Amino acid sequence: MTAIRFSNVGKRYPNGHDALVGLNFTLESGELAFLTGHSGAGKSTLLKLIMLMERPSRGGVWVGDRDLTKLPHKQIPFHRREIGVVFQNHQLLFDRSVFDNVALPLQISGYDPADAARRVRAALDKVGLLSREKLNPITLSSGEQQRVGIARAIVHKPKLLLADEPTGNLDPDLSEDIMHLFEQFNRIGTTVLIASHDLSLINRLRHRVLHLQGGRLVADGY
Amino acid sequence: MATEPRQHQGASRRAESPRRSDAPRRGAEQHRIGLADRSRGWLRHHIEVARQALLRLWSTPLASLMTLAVLAIALALPGFIFTALKNVDQLTAGLDTDPHISLYLDVSLSDERIDSFSRELLLRDDLASVELISRDKGLEDFKAYTRFDDLLEFFDSNPLPAVITLIPRHDDPAQLQVLQQKLAALPEVEEARLDLEWVRRLGAFMALAERSAWVLGGLLALTVLLVVGNTVRMTIESRRDEILVSKMVGATDAWVRRPFLYSGVWFGAFGALLAWLLAQLALALISEPVQALAALYLNGYVVQGLGPVESLALLLIGILLGLGGAWLAVGRHLRDIEPG
Repeated sequence: MTAIRFSNVGKRYPNGHDALVGLNFTLESGELAFLTGHSGAGKSTLLKLIMLMERPSRGGVWVGDRDLTKLPHKQIPFHRREIGVVFQNHQLLFDRSVFDNVALPLQISGYDPADAARRVRAALDKVGLLSREKLNPITLSSGEQQRVGIARAIVHKPKLLLADEPTGNLDPDLSEDIMHLFEQFNRIGTTVLIASHDLSLINRLRHRVLHLQGGRLVADGY
Repeated sequence: MATEPRQHQGASRRAESPRRSDAPRRGAEQHRIGLADRSRGWLRHHIEVARQALLRLWSTPLASLMTLAVLAIALALPGFIFTALKNVDQLTAGLDTDPHISLYLDVSLSDERIDSFSRELLLRDDLASVELISRDKGLEDFKAYTRFDDLLEFFDSNPLPAVITLIPRHDDPAQLQVLQQKLAALPEVEEARLDLEWVRRLGAFMALAERSAWVLGGLLALTVLLVVGNTVRMTIESRRDEILVSKMVGATDAWVRRPFLYSGVWFGAFGALLAWLLAQLALALISEPVQALAALYLNGYVVQGLGPVESLALLLIGILLGLGGAWLAVGRHLRDIEPG
């Protein structure tokens, strides 16, 4: 089954810059793939199209069997609830505890608080931060903060997990830990797409790599 | 495939809560959080959001109090004016506002002639009532109600004419004037005065005052809208990150909007409560002189404060204006905060 399909996708910004040109690829359900390329190659734009933070200028994007070009504005929140996202700068809220940060997606989806608490603790346990749930994330190290961001991305058990430079600010050991965490989620069936320019790490991990250059897909393989 | 994540959630959800009906469900239904669950969650969310909006208000007591003071004054002013108008209305309702015609009779007429003349008037069918104030009665009243009784010593005899007060059956101004002229033409009558003008003037004055109060009320309502709107706009700016992250993880526009709308509601409600206190205080301050003034004209008149209906209306107007101001600010600014 197909998790993500891009068909001849182009994205041109209002200033005339072509961020993506004629992009074709499919990601099968249960796959783990890296998205590489220099900054400005179109990695973030590609992820934004999947999240519907941007709409393509031409071509079609499918997530599962959902045609995103036909998805009405009102349905966007419900589309996003089915995807987990990890950001480079983790985007944690420092006005609340680690627990409440991770619980946010569940609150938004309207989970029962007791049920949500179980899921939050399960997610924190998976990233090894169960003991830190009451702390403010600002007191954590950057590696720990990134793991809180990951816990938030997977707390609602999405079938599709996206990550935009998840190891951008981390030292090599921590980066490898984070990548192994993504591999674990992939092993239990989650489709994972990670944008990263950490080529040495990516080459060691031996997964599919999509390489972007100037908005075009120039290499796709292992 | 796209619906599978929900399916996954649904499955583990049921496994974790055995008390829920485990009847096997198929198809689209299986992917959803149950309707009852969702409406419970919705209500819980509303209560929680309202509570947090209230706590946010208290978290910056001084700033909130300043805003509330402005709102209270803007709401109290119309409240005070309308209450004052209500009092004047009540005052004039207590007064006899039927048009009167006063006939001042020729002083040379004998008491007998006056008596028979007033009885003749009683027979006319265009008059509703006839009241004779004899010359002696007039003199007594003059002594009782004015301080000029010394003045009377200058006269050898009673200088006052007998007066007959008439209430005409019709109150059409044109007919009244015709009647006045007819009565003035009678030989016994020295002068016929139609006491209509002051009633008309009072009516016009009240209409003007009421219209002005509405205009002022409208302007002050606009003030409330803008003050709440501006306050909410600043709250939105300070919570920009939270809005972005929430939208990223699937918050609907309604979900993002809700806390700010509740802030507006609280501002409106507390502003109205403060306004009520201010208006009551202002009325209490003027009550004594008004009472004294009223006692000169009317017995048993009591200054009316804001009654339960007016108080409730003030609260409701406050809440609606607060909600409206927040709605305007949220509609205008949330659109700009979009991830991407």
